[in-house]
Amino acid sequence: MILQFILIVAFGGALLSYVLGKISSKVRNFFAVFISLALVVMIACLYGKAIEKTFYLGFLDLPLLLRLNTLSWFFAITIAVIGFLSIVFSLSYMKGKEKLSFYYLMMLLVNTAMLGIVLSGDLLSFYIFWEIMSWSAFLLISYNRGPALAAGMKYIIMSLIGSVAMLIGLLSLHASYGTLIISEIVPLIASASSGYILFILILFFIAFGIKNAVWPFHTWLPPAHSEAPSPFSAILSGILVRMGMYGFILFLFVIVGSKIFLELGRDSFHYILAWIGAINIVIPTFIAMLQNDSKRLLAWHGVGQGGYMILGVALGTSLGVAGGTFHIINHTSYIALLFLVVGAVEYRTGGVRDLNSLGGLIKRMPLTFIGALIGACGLIGLPLTNGFVSKWLIYKTLILKGHPFLAFAALIGTWGTILSLYKFLHNIFLGQLPEKYKNIEKVPFSMQFPIIILSFVILLFGVLPGIPLKVINAIGISFGLESLNVNLWGIVSETGTLNTINIFAAILVAGIIVWRLFRLGPKARPVPQEDSYAAGAYIPKEKYHYTVEFYNPLYRIITPYLKDFVDTFYLKLSQATGRLANKLRRIYTGDVSYYVAGIILFLAVLIFIQICFKLW
Amino acid sequence: MVNPVLLIVVPLGLAFAIPLFGFISKRIEKYIPLTAMLFNLIVSLLLIPKALQQPIVVSIGGFPPPFCINLVAGPVGILFSAIIALVGLLVSVYALDYIKQGATGEYHILYLLLLVGATGVVLTGDIFNLFVFFEILCISSYALVAHSGDKAGIESAVKYLIQGAIGSSLILIAIALLYGLFGTLNMADIARNIDSVSSISVFVPLVLFITGLGVEAAIFPLNAWLPDAHSSAPSSISAILSGIAIEVGIYAVARVIFTIFGAQSILLFLLLLGILTLLIGEMCAFSQRNIKRLLAYSSIGQIGLILFALGIATHSGVVGGLFQIISHALSKALLFLAVGYMIYRTGSLEISTLEGMGRKMPLTSLAFTIGAFSLVGLPPFVGFPSKFLIVRAALIAQEPLFVVLIALVLLGTIIEGAYFLRIVQVLYFKGEKSNSKIEDAPIVALIPIFILMLLILIIGIYPKLLTGVLNSAAGEFLNRVGYIKSVLG
Repeated sequence: MILQFILIVAFGGALLSYVLGKISSKVRNFFAVFISLALVVMIACLYGKAIEKTFYLGFLDLPLLLRLNTLSWFFAITIAVIGFLSIVFSLSYMKGKEKLSFYYLMMLLVNTAMLGIVLSGDLLSFYIFWEIMSWSAFLLISYNRGPALAAGMKYIIMSLIGSVAMLIGLLSLHASYGTLIISEIVPLIASASSGYILFILILFFIAFGIKNAVWPFHTWLPPAHSEAPSPFSAILSGILVRMGMYGFILFLFVIVGSKIFLELGRDSFHYILAWIGAINIVIPTFIAMLQNDSKRLLAWHGVGQGGYMILGVALGTSLGVAGGTFHIINHTSYIALLFLVVGAVEYRTGGVRDLNSLGGLIKRMPLTFIGALIGACGLIGLPLTNGFVSKWLIYKTLILKGHPFLAFAALIGTWGTILSLYKFLHNIFLGQLPEKYKNIEKVPFSMQFPIIILSFVILLFGVLPGIPLKVINAIGISFGLESLNVNLWGIVSETGTLNTINIFAAILVAGIIVWRLFRLGPKARPVPQEDSYAAGAYIPKEKYHYTVEFYNPLYRIITPYLKDFVDTFYLKLSQATGRLANKLRRIYTGDVSYYVAGIILFLAVLIFIQICFKLW
Repeated sequence: MVNPVLLIVVPLGLAFAIPLFGFISKRIEKYIPLTAMLFNLIVSLLLIPKALQQPIVVSIGGFPPPFCINLVAGPVGILFSAIIALVGLLVSVYALDYIKQGATGEYHILYLLLLVGATGVVLTGDIFNLFVFFEILCISSYALVAHSGDKAGIESAVKYLIQGAIGSSLILIAIALLYGLFGTLNMADIARNIDSVSSISVFVPLVLFITGLGVEAAIFPLNAWLPDAHSSAPSSISAILSGIAIEVGIYAVARVIFTIFGAQSILLFLLLLGILTLLIGEMCAFSQRNIKRLLAYSSIGQIGLILFALGIATHSGVVGGLFQIISHALSKALLFLAVGYMIYRTGSLEISTLEGMGRKMPLTSLAFTIGAFSLVGLPPFVGFPSKFLIVRAALIAQEPLFVVLIALVLLGTIIEGAYFLRIVQVLYFKGEKSNSKIEDAPIVALIPIFILMLLILIIGIYPKLLTGVLNSAAGEFLNRVGYIKSVLG
């Protein structure tokens, strides 16, 4: 009942907020925040419960089920929290824009659909919610007009391709086993041939891979993320894309099971998956470095970080799965934070995302800067942030399983992340403040609030990773993986122990020492931000922004290797389809005698075939 | 007890009475089709429970079936006549305001005749009557395509007439051949004896039927009339042509193949033809800039999908095909009705002129969006369960060939998604933000649009509503012996 109630509240709330929007925008905003907060509270209360219940029988004699377990709770709470924070952020960010009722309706609808996906107990409702999520996300991506339209089309076409693959896989399962209920499929698929499992997995993985933006299906993501309204980018990159990860985990560890999965394709399938993960880390991270659009830069990291998750999950050990799963929620927290930071900057600068024309905003938007710094540290994986812990788990797995090359790829990825995020931080917040941004003010509290919360979460999970790891460990146990020895500040194992409290203490001590040392020196003299010199010469205003083309020499070396040939290929393919369609259209010439000849010819050919070949 | 004959007699009588009513008052004329279709809808709905148990066979003239003209109102017939009446009713409500200029009296007569023809085709149990009703349907649609009276309308009507006439003559030849062979025109009687004759002499009428009916059913390569006719007709007529007329054509094809000839061997060919029709239709729609042509090509694609589903010829396949017929009838009617007033307001058929409609005509745009989503097969709209059933029917056979074929079919869906969703973007997100004033379609037009939207949503969420009827309808198509028995006793 309670799960049904949650979905009804979520869905009804979405519709009601649209209706309220026609009456008063204030009421609508308040209501949208209220609904999204109510969802967070309700889902939080469900922690540790296991429910499975049929909720609908009206669809073609297939029962639709809702189900709650640790895995779905873990995703559901993430969805609800990110949804809530994004909606709070939207309050000021979206103020004064058009079609706001529509915007809130779609935001809440996307949230409902995602909750539906993770709470589905059968594959049909999974698919239905998946599709609703896809089209509502399409409408939101297109919201910004202009280039957003092309981004939306790219997204929805790839998404449709994924859905089609999923539909075939789904119905093939139904044709074989006569059921789509996950808990009923699990025992049945255990006895299936490995070829059939592989066939099903590949079909579903096309869908999940496209949604999760796995290379080579990633091309929709950068434009979609950068063109969507920023609060939605946070949802999109933070959690919507990770529905693909949920699908991967669901299929690999719940439906197929880790034992069969690791043996698939003569033990090679998981290895291939791991390599796809590694490719996913390296290429997109370096492409991210080349970007000059702040949201596009983050978007490419969204692709890159997905690689870590796949890498962790694909290895199939309890440590790896824990690392991959933990990385999902960590990524959600810091990428959402960074998108909101960019949104805040956009809000104050009038929609500027070009990294080369920003700069020096640190004094103007200090809190936003701190948020960006913490988010960047998390994304890089510096100690004391949650990104460190999940990456530590993934590295540990790679080393324990003896995959030096994969570990190296992961390491290179981190290097690229550092370089690109340094550029991100520096070009927005450090360096010279352009004259036109001189009078910029702090963002309103409704935009600061999500930034504060997310920063806090990143640090909290970084210092006390045991909180989420306890849940993740329970998930692993439910998959039949061996239990990890988790405590509040890390993980104990015979091959190496992670203790974040020690790290925290060490950094604290080091910090105090550095601070004391600074106090020993002469007192610093604060100068105005505009009073800047380079090589002893005064920098004229608006003339020189030395962060432009930050990594030029490096670019020259790596650019030739980073051509997004997959994207080019898709573009060519779609153009070719368009041309073919245009040519095909010409068969309808408009000449009626030609049409009549066609009819007669059709008849004649059929009779001719029958006389000669006796086909029918 | 209500008699299925009323479904034909009452609207036919009313159609010819329209000029008489015109003497009383010109304003009554337009309410006649509405009344007739309301009557038909009620009668059809009343007949459904009875028809589901046992086909209602009505003999006219007092002779037992093989020797008389008879109506067979089985589940298929009643299902179709209900859809025809429903869509006909909604479109006639729409036309109350939409049809204002030109020969309005004639419009209403022809409109009602078209629907009578369609109802007759699906109810008759006699092959010559099938031809007659088919001709009523076709001839009235030729005239209606030209209703606007402009050059494009007349040109495409003439083209349609030429191709339709060829199709009709092929059907007539086929009927003559069958009559020569069996000496009867009763469908069940022919079906009973069809196996007693050598294969080639049966094959020729079969192919003649497929070709002749295929013209009206818009099967590739016989469908060249459709894009012109559907796009130059008034939108209310386009809705009927796309939503009803070609579906009736497909019904006739299915009836001839399944019931009369029981031709199992040609089904695979039709299935492949269906895929070809689907892909060509969708590809052509993909590169269209004219909104009504786009919808017309999309109808071709949908017909291909229906043909594919019927061609699978398993129970679930036929159920899927019939469901797709319903979902297409509802969605495409909705699309044409929505587009009708958009065109009326902008005066142009170009898709690019629809920019900003989301603000100017919010309800109409919403209707278009729902129709488009439904045709693409997105849940929770009616197109989803129907597409779902078709895919399931194809995969349940567990043959690798069908996996490939269904992949091709779904490729069509992707193309369909691409062009429909692009238009949705144009409606809502393209062009400059403007605060132009709202001038939505009049309330009379919005009522049928709203009802169609509601139906699409309700059936999409609760498809069980239809599964009972569809199951017995599929049973009627696939169970030849049962059909013959119920007619001839």
